[in-house]
Amino acid sequence: MTPDAERAETTSEPPAIEVEHVTKSYGHFTAVDDLSFAVERGSTVGLFGPNGAGKTTLLRMMAGLARPTRGTITIDSVEVAPDDHTIYRTIGVVTHETMLYDELTARENLRFHADLHGVDDPADRCASVLDTVGLCHRGSDRPTAFSHGLRKRLSLARALLHDPDVLLLDEPYTGLDQRSLADLESVLDGFDDRTVVLTTHDLERGVARCDRALVVDRGRLEADLELDEAASFAAEYRRTIGVESEPKHVGDTTR
Amino acid sequence: MNAFLRAVYRVFRKDLRIEQRTKQVTTSVAVFALLVVLAFAFSFVQTLQRSTLLGRGALWVAFVFAGTFGVTKTVELEDRNGALDGLLIAPVDRSAIYLGKVLSTATFVFVVSLVTLGATTVFLGYSPSIPTAVSVAAVLLVAAVGFAAIGVVVSVLTFRSGLDQLALPVLLVPLVVPLLLAGVELTAALESGSPLGGWLRLLGLYTGVVLLAGVATFEYVVET
Repeated sequence: MTPDAERAETTSEPPAIEVEHVTKSYGHFTAVDDLSFAVERGSTVGLFGPNGAGKTTLLRMMAGLARPTRGTITIDSVEVAPDDHTIYRTIGVVTHETMLYDELTARENLRFHADLHGVDDPADRCASVLDTVGLCHRGSDRPTAFSHGLRKRLSLARALLHDPDVLLLDEPYTGLDQRSLADLESVLDGFDDRTVVLTTHDLERGVARCDRALVVDRGRLEADLELDEAASFAAEYRRTIGVESEPKHVGDTTR
Repeated sequence: MNAFLRAVYRVFRKDLRIEQRTKQVTTSVAVFALLVVLAFAFSFVQTLQRSTLLGRGALWVAFVFAGTFGVTKTVELEDRNGALDGLLIAPVDRSAIYLGKVLSTATFVFVVSLVTLGATTVFLGYSPSIPTAVSVAAVLLVAAVGFAAIGVVVSVLTFRSGLDQLALPVLLVPLVVPLLLAGVELTAALESGSPLGGWLRLLGLYTGVVLLAGVATFEYVVET
């Protein structure tokens, strides 16, 4: 029995995210090939895989930033479609780019996005999320004055403005030093009630953070694993993508 | 104000605030437009007595080149840090984002066109009467909206598809030819007092059509 089927047996609540037979092709190149899985409410699911596996493409489709060539993605029982913007009240997205304007201050950036999201009492909400990510004293600074880690935290604050139920995080740990990683972890620790899907090359952190791992390679779902035992997952992961050695961050040569 | 118009206004206001702070688009584009006018002044120094013809030509040549440069700058702002993705994941109609960008781009192009109009008076001796200058400014305003309507779509397409920056003028300039033709002919007609009829209709209709086409296609253009 597949993990999805087991989950369906144990809960009657509809999944937060359903990906059904999703394919994304660019000409003759297939970036994502017939992927199907479901994500339970409140769970944290990691998408693992080497560079070019299709993780980011999949996440962009889940965020409505790209349209699947075939298949459907449903979040909170609403089909994700780039031309239906109602879904964006439910999801928060952090990619490897901050989506912020260097010419505006941190607070102005957040205020702009809060206004676009129709957030109630935007000034208070901006102050609140700045506080959540530990940047309440840097609201008047521009992102250009921030380190990479601080920009990432500001980007996370932007994604949290409208208090989304579902968070999609693309490589949240990439390029962060140990201190920034610890800070980010403490922010993510507060997300227990949210559904989180994250992509990462950082096997150790991903395993520690996630309840479940989806291993993607060449656009296909190669494994769907519960993460009760981190050590066994690491071995399973390396076996799945055909890496026999034990690098600290599998698949990422830039770290 | 309904949600759609609020979103248009917020994108527009954000661009104005950034421009007010950096002066990046208007300064660089105005300098570029002035260089075009100066190039005309030096190139046609022997024929400066035909200042009306020269001024009109310089005005619209500068409009096209400065406009192309301007639209690149305003869309580049959204390309940096993936800012456009940040707009696309907001719960607002994507055509509102498009219209906000068109509005801000048209404002910058129009302001620079007015500076160019002044520069043609100073450097080329082009001196239309005040009522004519006001009418020419109105033509420039409509043309700026049409130019921005095409420019934002083509520029976003260029950035999103990773095409070389050189592809932008190659794709854009043929599409703005009707605006350019109508603009030049309307300017001439305003100076001579001839009927505006057909050219005015062309300018208005073409601007309306490209604006509607932009609204209809933007959500597909931004997809990757």
